[in-house]
Amino acid sequence: MLPETMSPDQVAKALIAESFHSRRLVVGIFVIVNAVALTAGLLWPKVYTASTSILVDERTIIQPLMAGAAVATDALDRSKNAREVIFGRKIMDFALESGWGKTNPSAEERELLIEGIKKRTVISTVGKNILRIEYHDDDPDRAFRVTDKFAELFMQESIAAKAAESKAAFDFIEKQTQEYQDKLTTTEQELKELRSSTLEVRSGSEGEVTTRLNDLYRRIDAATQELREAEVKEASLERQVSGEAESTAAISRESQYRARIGELQSRLDTLRLSYHDTHPDIVQVKQQIQDLTEGINAERVRREQTKRSGQSESDESVVNNPVYQQLRRERSQNQANIEALTARITELQRQLQDEVGRGKRMHSGDARLAELTRDYQITRDIYQDLLRRRENARVSMNMDSDRQGLTFKIQEPVTLPQSLGGPRFLHFVVGGMLLGVLIPLGLLYARLQLDPRIRIGSAITVTHKLPIVTVVPHLWSPTELKSLRLELVLLTLVMVATIAASAALSAMRVIKVL
Amino acid sequence: MSKIEKALSKAREERGNLRLVPIASAGPVPGTALVGDRGHPETIAHMAKNEVRLLGAGDLAQRGIIQSQQGEDPVVQVFRDLRTKIIQQSQGQNAVLLVTSVSKGCGSSFIARNLGAAFAFDLGKTAVLIDCNLKSPSVHKLLANPSVPGLTDYFENPDLDIKEIIHPLGIARYRVITAGKRREILEEHFTSAKMKRLMETMRRRYQERFIIMDGPPMSKIADIRILSELADYVLIVARYGRSTNAQIARCLDVISEKKQLGIVFNEEPRLPRIR
Repeated sequence: MLPETMSPDQVAKALIAESFHSRRLVVGIFVIVNAVALTAGLLWPKVYTASTSILVDERTIIQPLMAGAAVATDALDRSKNAREVIFGRKIMDFALESGWGKTNPSAEERELLIEGIKKRTVISTVGKNILRIEYHDDDPDRAFRVTDKFAELFMQESIAAKAAESKAAFDFIEKQTQEYQDKLTTTEQELKELRSSTLEVRSGSEGEVTTRLNDLYRRIDAATQELREAEVKEASLERQVSGEAESTAAISRESQYRARIGELQSRLDTLRLSYHDTHPDIVQVKQQIQDLTEGINAERVRREQTKRSGQSESDESVVNNPVYQQLRRERSQNQANIEALTARITELQRQLQDEVGRGKRMHSGDARLAELTRDYQITRDIYQDLLRRRENARVSMNMDSDRQGLTFKIQEPVTLPQSLGGPRFLHFVVGGMLLGVLIPLGLLYARLQLDPRIRIGSAITVTHKLPIVTVVPHLWSPTELKSLRLELVLLTLVMVATIAASAALSAMRVIKVL
Repeated sequence: MSKIEKALSKAREERGNLRLVPIASAGPVPGTALVGDRGHPETIAHMAKNEVRLLGAGDLAQRGIIQSQQGEDPVVQVFRDLRTKIIQQSQGQNAVLLVTSVSKGCGSSFIARNLGAAFAFDLGKTAVLIDCNLKSPSVHKLLANPSVPGLTDYFENPDLDIKEIIHPLGIARYRVITAGKRREILEEHFTSAKMKRLMETMRRRYQERFIIMDGPPMSKIADIRILSELADYVLIVARYGRSTNAQIARCLDVISEKKQLGIVFNEEPRLPRIR
């Protein structure tokens, strides 16, 4: 384990000492790593990369001219777009035919080939308008053919897709325009019908209706007032009629009887002054008074009966009451007046109902008219807008069909790849050399860090605080020296052989023997 | 290398380590007469008389022993430096050093024998290397006759004198005691009074003698505890790419802190000069 407070210099020394101590391991790892790197380099598949750049030009001369009128297809995120187009079944099938030329590959084979092509294709954007298609393959010729086909098909597909898009847009707007036109016609028709059907309720007659209604209300009020007065009068007359005697006859007979009784009473009083009650005159007078009283009572009963039966006095002596007659006349007149007033009020109320109905009809007609008018205006506006848009879309469509909207230009044509892409054999050789040195050193460093066994003498002083710590290097005996010499020579030879093998293989690769 | 230089080098090799500078005899230390001590401590001059044929550069290299002539060699420099540090630590006095390793195979025997050699470089110092690793001894391999009596023989045989187990290695001022033939002998002998006496005698016989014990690895904790009791200082050997901090910490726990001399980090990879 290394002490924490070690300078890089001390670490380097410790690392060198440890490397010497484990020299066989170091050389062994160097050889193994190099062997692995060389093998990997030899087995690494050859990769030829073909690429092409396409300039996507949407700022053609036509666009400023048509600004605001026509819309060019937005080409943002072009690489994603291109990926979708190129990896589509159609282009893939073409690529398969041109690149592999297999007459009838099975579905599974096709799927595998297509997956392979997708993996080996890189589509990216350079700057804003340049699309780069890169394809690598172990056959340079095929790499060239597939890339070329990709570029060509992509351009064709893009233009076709764009034209189709413009056409679809135009068709859609055209359809919408037609729909709105139909709607407008319907609304116009409805408006016309409404206007002709509601002539009576033309706007402006609202004032007249109000005036008429007010007049009716006023007249009804007046008639009602009159009726109420007549009814009060009727009640009063009825009371008067019932209180007044129909005739005066009965009343005079009674009074005659009473007058006689009075006379007889005064005579009786005079007689009593002179005679006793038993005097025949007095008895006679008393008898006469009693007879007269009975006559009054009989008269009263008779009159009541007559009144109840409603019969008029048959007594010729009876005369009609003139006040009663007057009241009866007035009352019948009043009753006729009440009936007339009631009839008038009924008529007036009917007229009022008619007028209110008319007013209501007039209002609903107005609302419908307003609704239809509004619909008509909106539909007309949209229709006009659609007409304008349709013309724009037509221009856009024509632009695309004449290939004026979006143009493609091959910026960098595909060339037949001459050199290998990807990591080359030399990279493996150099990497192997570097790793062959670095891996053992790294492992030794890890061992120095992790192994609890002491490898630094000074660490003991720090840990145990002892006065004397002496570091004794190894004493080489002559025999040991001899074998060490031999070992070092052998290890050097092994390393040299490894390096020589790497160099030889590199050279063979360069002159294309391998 | 010029011809003159070659000739000088050859002459130095031939005369080699025999060319000793006798130093003043330290004389017998009063009251230090011990078993095996014949009354007067040996001197370097006396030692020189007992030297056998010295090993040549090739032999030394084959045995993995440093040579003073290779002064430029970083390994030699390291051992010299280590020797100086130890002498400084012991303040000039001779000392008993135990060299043990964190685990088996860390190279403590290599460090021990070369530390001895580094002491022997100094004309005023001598060194004795004792093989205390009875389980897997190595010192006997340095000798021409590996079956000479050693430490275990000394423990088992009461008649054996110290002199008989101390053998010249073929390097001036450098002696060795092998583990001996009796491998079945247990390490308990290290705790015996005889062992203590042996160490004491050796320490006293040469005032300038540094005694280096090549100990077993730390896995044998009991042995290490006993041996470290006999030693003045303990040197722990850890190896590059093998020992961990945890192992070192465990070793340091076993050894008394005042005896801990330090750690030798062995076998650091080094690209040799290949001609």
